[in-house]
Amino acid sequence: MKVSNSAILNIVEYDFRNFLRYKWWLVGLISMNLADLFIMALVYNKMLNVQAAGITNYFNFFAPGLAVTGLFASAFMIGREINMERRREVHHYMLSLPMTRLELAVGRVLSGGLRGIIYMSPLLLTCFAFVGVPSFPQLLLIVAVLFLLAIGISGLSIAIAVSTSSLEKFITARGVVYYALFFCSSVFYPLSLIQQLGQEGKFPMPLVVLAEINPLSSASDMIRAFLLGTPTFSVNMILSVIIFSAVFTFSAAFAYIKIIERK
Amino acid sequence: MTLLTNKLFLVVERDIRLFFQYKFLIIMRSIWFVSQIVLFGLIASRMVNISDYFQYYVAGLSVMMLYSTALFIGFDIYEEAEHGVFEYLLSLPVSRRQLVLGRSIGGGLRAFIYVGPLIFVALYVIGAVNPLNFLIAFFSLFLFAFGVSGMSITIAVIIKSSDRFDILMGVLDALIVRLSTAMYPLAVVQQANPVYGGLTQFNPVSFASDLFRWGTGIEAIISLSNPLAPLLGIIAFFSFFTFVGIIIYDKRIEGGGWQ
Repeated sequence: MKVSNSAILNIVEYDFRNFLRYKWWLVGLISMNLADLFIMALVYNKMLNVQAAGITNYFNFFAPGLAVTGLFASAFMIGREINMERRREVHHYMLSLPMTRLELAVGRVLSGGLRGIIYMSPLLLTCFAFVGVPSFPQLLLIVAVLFLLAIGISGLSIAIAVSTSSLEKFITARGVVYYALFFCSSVFYPLSLIQQLGQEGKFPMPLVVLAEINPLSSASDMIRAFLLGTPTFSVNMILSVIIFSAVFTFSAAFAYIKIIERK
Repeated sequence: MTLLTNKLFLVVERDIRLFFQYKFLIIMRSIWFVSQIVLFGLIASRMVNISDYFQYYVAGLSVMMLYSTALFIGFDIYEEAEHGVFEYLLSLPVSRRQLVLGRSIGGGLRAFIYVGPLIFVALYVIGAVNPLNFLIAFFSLFLFAFGVSGMSITIAVIIKSSDRFDILMGVLDALIVRLSTAMYPLAVVQQANPVYGGLTQFNPVSFASDLFRWGTGIEAIISLSNPLAPLLGIIAFFSFFTFVGIIIYDKRIEGGGWQ
């Protein structure tokens, strides 16, 4: 099947124009994220149990997690738009465009990921400014992994958007995914703490496993590994994100093509 | 008098019915509440060096939940303006004051009806209650919910764009909740930053959280020696936003001022 780059670029441009329409919303969202870092993380830092948590500074620990949080929120926005297009039947117009279904689907997933990266950039720069600057190869790896993660998240969001018939159902599903992925990850607390609770039988083992294979944990820990030196960097961190991204990009593209062709 | 009360009751009843139509929202908020307790609360309590932090956090979480649910009335006002329901409401044989007061009470009451069972879940998780203290705390939470609902209505009618309202509510929520004692004790906030500490001290979410903890009767999480000051703070918050809200709403709704 032939795939035209210009068609994909047109879709990316269309989604970016939509994204920039929400500029005040984005400013608000960034402010909320920064409030998390400069208020919540600073206060938690003062009540941190260094020995139990295995970290010395919560602000530094949380800053990489916050960049991943921002990436997730913005990459997920594409799903909300696609859900709305489906309900308002804008997808009929999309189908009438001179491009293949595959180009349309790839363009949507790609733009969702790119939007996530752009939104997350100020948060990542804040993290670098306060926590530390990675070397150039490390920076390239961070951006590449976060881009893959953003594509995977936008794929997941599109898959949910096309499988839910109303905005309320989409928001509910998003909430469930959000809470499961964030609270069972090392975004807010170290993975070792979750594993410890699991060993003590105070935390369900399936959730411990979810936290271990969670791409949000991998991405946050990879940035921490480069900036803070702990946890130790492992190739599994990258693999976890690649698998997540591949699974959800393909399933989203497939689901999107199938659903928008349905009468 | 009975007729006036009946009309007020009808406005309150309508808002409560309206809220329970948002089934998915209700489900989602409940999932959020439970996952905050069993996931975040449990793990975070291991990470901090504050004894009984889990109980402390669960009590604060109930107040956060009450706050965010009571805010929701503002979004209803935008929905109504957008779909032309406002004109219908104004055509009803109900005075403007009754309409506004009813909406403020309805907004607070529906939040309370929804969060009430979750508060009891929180009490069960925390494990204790002092009945007399808790009655006072419960009453203050009622006033708090009405005050938040009044605040939401006031902001909704001042800001005419639903997008701007959505953003402002998000930012306000982030600041009001984080600069409160809902998640951490005042002494720690003051230690982290004296300015934050000052703001946290005079925050209605802090008043409600501290009173709720005081109402549980669990010594380890009580941060109040005298509940009078936060109680007065909540009464002031409630009075200001309920009555100022009524005046502003009353003025704005005439002559298509909400459009």
